[in-house]
Amino acid sequence: MRISELFKKGEMVITAEVGPPKGCHPEHLIHEADEFLKDVTAINVTDSQSSKMRMGSLATCKGLKDAGHEAIFQLTCRDRNRIALQADLLSAAYFGIENLLLLTGDHPSVGDNPQAKPVFDLDSVSLLHAVGELEKGVDLGGNELEGAPPKFCKGAVVSACSDSVDVQLAKMEQKVKAGAEYFQTQAVYDSEKFIKFMERAKQFGVPVMLGLIIPKNAGMVNYMSKNVPGISVPEAIVDELKADKEKTSSGATGVEITARIIKECKDYCQGIHIMALGWEKFVPDVLKMAGLKA
Amino acid sequence: MEDYTKFRLKSRDEIVPLLEGKDNLFVVACNKCFKEFENADEPERGEFEKIAAEQGKKITGCVNVDFLCNKTTTQNKLELPTGTENVAVISCGLGIQTVADLSDMPVYAAADSVKSYDGHHGMALTTVRCDGCGQCYLNLTGGICPIVDCSKSLVNGQCGGSKNFKCEVSKDKDCAWDKIHERLAAQGRAAEILNVPVQLRDHSKVNFKFIDDYVKSIREKRFEGYYGGIHPSEYKELAEFFPLKTFPAPDNVVIPLSQHAGAPAQAIVAAGDTVKTGQKIGEAGGFISSTIHSSVSGTVTAVEERLHPTTGVQVMSVVIKSDGKDELHESVKPVQNWESLSVDEIADIVREKGIVGMGGAGFPTAVKLKSPKPIDTVLLNGCECEPLLTCDHRVMLEFADDVIFGLKVLIKTTGAEKGMIVIEDNKHDAIELLEKKTADIPNIGIVVAKTKYPQGAEKMLIKRALGKSVPSGALPLDVGVVVSNVSTVKAVSDAIQKGMPLIERAVTVTGPYIKNPGNYMVKVGTPVQSLIDHCGGLTSDDVTIKLGGPMMGFEIENFDVPMIKGTNGIIAIEPDVSEASDCIKCGRCADVCPMELLPLYYPKLAMAQDWTGANDKSVRDCMECGCCEFICSSKIPLRYSIKQCKKGVIEQAQKEGK
Amino acid sequence: MLITVLKSKEDIECVAKGKTICVTCEGCKEVHFPEVEAIELVKELNPTGNVITEYVCNPDNLKVQLAKHMDKLNAADTVLVFSCGVGVQTVSDNFRDKKVYAACDTYPLPGGQGVTPLEFDCEQCGECYLNGTGGICPITACSKSLVNGQCGGCKDGKCEVDKEMDCGWERIYKRLEKLGLLDEMRYPAKLRNFNLMYEESK
Repeated sequence: MRISELFKKGEMVITAEVGPPKGCHPEHLIHEADEFLKDVTAINVTDSQSSKMRMGSLATCKGLKDAGHEAIFQLTCRDRNRIALQADLLSAAYFGIENLLLLTGDHPSVGDNPQAKPVFDLDSVSLLHAVGELEKGVDLGGNELEGAPPKFCKGAVVSACSDSVDVQLAKMEQKVKAGAEYFQTQAVYDSEKFIKFMERAKQFGVPVMLGLIIPKNAGMVNYMSKNVPGISVPEAIVDELKADKEKTSSGATGVEITARIIKECKDYCQGIHIMALGWEKFVPDVLKMAGLKA
Repeated sequence: MEDYTKFRLKSRDEIVPLLEGKDNLFVVACNKCFKEFENADEPERGEFEKIAAEQGKKITGCVNVDFLCNKTTTQNKLELPTGTENVAVISCGLGIQTVADLSDMPVYAAADSVKSYDGHHGMALTTVRCDGCGQCYLNLTGGICPIVDCSKSLVNGQCGGSKNFKCEVSKDKDCAWDKIHERLAAQGRAAEILNVPVQLRDHSKVNFKFIDDYVKSIREKRFEGYYGGIHPSEYKELAEFFPLKTFPAPDNVVIPLSQHAGAPAQAIVAAGDTVKTGQKIGEAGGFISSTIHSSVSGTVTAVEERLHPTTGVQVMSVVIKSDGKDELHESVKPVQNWESLSVDEIADIVREKGIVGMGGAGFPTAVKLKSPKPIDTVLLNGCECEPLLTCDHRVMLEFADDVIFGLKVLIKTTGAEKGMIVIEDNKHDAIELLEKKTADIPNIGIVVAKTKYPQGAEKMLIKRALGKSVPSGALPLDVGVVVSNVSTVKAVSDAIQKGMPLIERAVTVTGPYIKNPGNYMVKVGTPVQSLIDHCGGLTSDDVTIKLGGPMMGFEIENFDVPMIKGTNGIIAIEPDVSEASDCIKCGRCADVCPMELLPLYYPKLAMAQDWTGANDKSVRDCMECGCCEFICSSKIPLRYSIKQCKKGVIEQAQKEGK
Repeated sequence: MLITVLKSKEDIECVAKGKTICVTCEGCKEVHFPEVEAIELVKELNPTGNVITEYVCNPDNLKVQLAKHMDKLNAADTVLVFSCGVGVQTVSDNFRDKKVYAACDTYPLPGGQGVTPLEFDCEQCGECYLNGTGGICPITACSKSLVNGQCGGCKDGKCEVDKEMDCGWERIYKRLEKLGLLDEMRYPAKLRNFNLMYEESK
């Protein structure tokens, strides 16, 4: 099922992100999905995120799909040229994986195999365009595909709280033109900033999913605020995490903060995307506290 | 030669839509580099202007620039006429980015850069290339590059795409790995490649930080103090630690009556006359001229034409046979109460004692002292930026007090507020000593300059020490500065304190082919051969002897010529075996020219006898420092053409003056 | 024009075996050549000869410069070249039956069109993008050479690859904004044509 259909119906779409293992045993991941992610619409599988080599996104998606979950295939331009990207997209269609999240990808030099050759033959915009072409039944070389063309729901990302929000909005516009059907944001901690961003982004008429990372402790959010592009964390949230260390380490503070941001922002967005980073077990609590699930 | 075009005009189909909605265009075109250099404009600009005109566009102006990517020289040439709204640039990507960076207006590319040439290092146009991978594989592959010669840049041997020695990408391309195996087999190294461990390329080696840091450091070096300049190997260590020794007086001296800029001196002695050390033997032949003195006591044996050491022509010279007594002439006596003398009186002493610039040019010092314009600073050149030479260094160490005294004389005479001694940072001991000795003198300072040739040139020295630019055609006195050499002020000191005229000077005899290099106080008129012999002779038959430094010195073939007032060194160096090839317009001469000229044009202009063109290209600003010749990747003897151009420009001006 | 950096002493000692002659090229010294380090290393290697010359990348010049050293060179087992990759390949091509080894690694240098190392770089992609980008090159100013705008790796205007590197697309946006040309960014997805670079060099 393409999640674009749900957006059209006006449903609040909820997705969660999982990262494949550094190894060839995704069973634990699938088990956690069965246990904690029953209530989400789809599970979003990363493609060696932060340029750290992991098991592939496509195979993991297939594993989740076989276990009865709806999967979103993340695909970056970092490691593959246009031949490999198009081939993987056709493979995904064969596996019945219809939801995509198309990204440029981090530079290999920031990852755990920094010697790797950066590819970036395409980028997120041209990848969106490439998917559009495949959907029309031709590849980027202008060659026709055999049989019925694939049909996907094409997602893209945007940093809503970026320090260069003007530049990000310009890019968003390019992505919309290239066929993006939904957006997922980088983690949001500043509701006000997000709401301001949405006031400008709504002109494009494309659904936006609020991105969230459940904060584990003050050190983590401070690090992200300082180092991760597109993330900025207000002081108040840092203080909140510092206030009761025991409560914070139990996960309760993080769940509260995340749920509160959802409540503050949900009227401005069309979906929620939770990047649990190993805290998948708290996803049900977050959704419950935010009033999205019983 | 192939056409190594660096960029090509975009097609009409691209230019027409590009011009849509844009009018009032200023067109900038680069004259291209890395090409067979012809003295003609590139055709692209005309083509572009034609297309623009067809579209009814107004062109507000246009300019052709050499090396558009050179921001320093380009910024002086980009004056956008009022009314300009858009700038169209016909150049490679570097030029376009440079213009975009310099302009406030929208800048558009009218050309695409193309990788159609090989070599690309700023030198020869060759068929071998290098990708700069930062992990050279040539040692494993018999000197054939797998990164550029293999279309897939494979580093672990041949792929399955080789057929009949050719690559799958093109039937015209040899398979690199076939070539590698063949080369290794021919060298008996076939087994080597089998034992090479699996190669993994490290793409992180070539990273932004590494390259950015290098570029910053190179650019800093390039712009240090003034634009351009070079860093030749110094080899100062050959002689710098040998203290100055008095060179034994020769039996015979030959003293040319022309050792200075301006008119030759007139002999006032004749054959048979007896002369004493320091006695005047030649009277100045005009305002810009100098007196000449005997450097020995003895008998004049001839006043006749002799070969001049640096001009290579016969000039009137006084030949004196020494009596070995070195008796001083009565005129050699200290000046009393010099501080009470007037400017004119001091200038007269300096003039009478035959003092001229000892850095090489030989300009009469007295003329500089009587500046028609107000002087605020006296700059002493203690840079000795020529490689090999160390005599000024030794003078500063061994005659520091005389140097400071001479500087004080110059400050007082010129009416300057202050004096500065500029010393390059490769002479720590001299810096330390002079800093100590001048610490209590409020109006004398020491400037330490990073080594860069030609730092000692007047205009460079002024720019470096004072940050002032001397305009084209102007003199240091136009910016209130008098520049003098440390040896010259030492001579001024001798003239005042001892009454001694300029009859001897410090000379460095050095070079890789001199057996025992050293520094000597040598009497003017001493034959070069005797200096070489005294230093143990030459260690090879195949050497070049120069008077002066390797950069600006004069090559001599007859070693019997005498050393003169301006001879700061006698050097024996490797002969230059280079042969000039065609200019490839690499632009390195423009990159190093401290006067910001375009030296590459002069050979073309000299060949065409286009003196107007040479004048337009400011050939008269050239001081013949030789940086361009040093760096020229085609080994073109640029200074020869420059001299021709200067001569042509002057002759033409004279003709037109009539 | 390239940057040359000495290989490690161990690596060089591995190849400099037998009668070794060093050929040191100082032609690009004003760009970057590890002159002092090279002299030191040659001293330590104690070769049978060291020829200091320049522009060995020029095959004609190479022949002229080496002429008087040919006896020594012919008698040597190994020629160790201190130069960029072009120089090593030219020497190697000149002595095809001899072991010619590189003593340096070579890095690319912005500029490369002949003049001094520049602030700007051009990859000669054959499809100049500068028109849509306010004259700032997305191929060389963006570490990923993206042609369709900024990626998510920009923080405080800096690139994810290096905190000192400005984000190329941030610069492009600012430049276009200043020029009142932000509309230039509203274009359909651009696709690079890598084949151009190969076609041209054929």
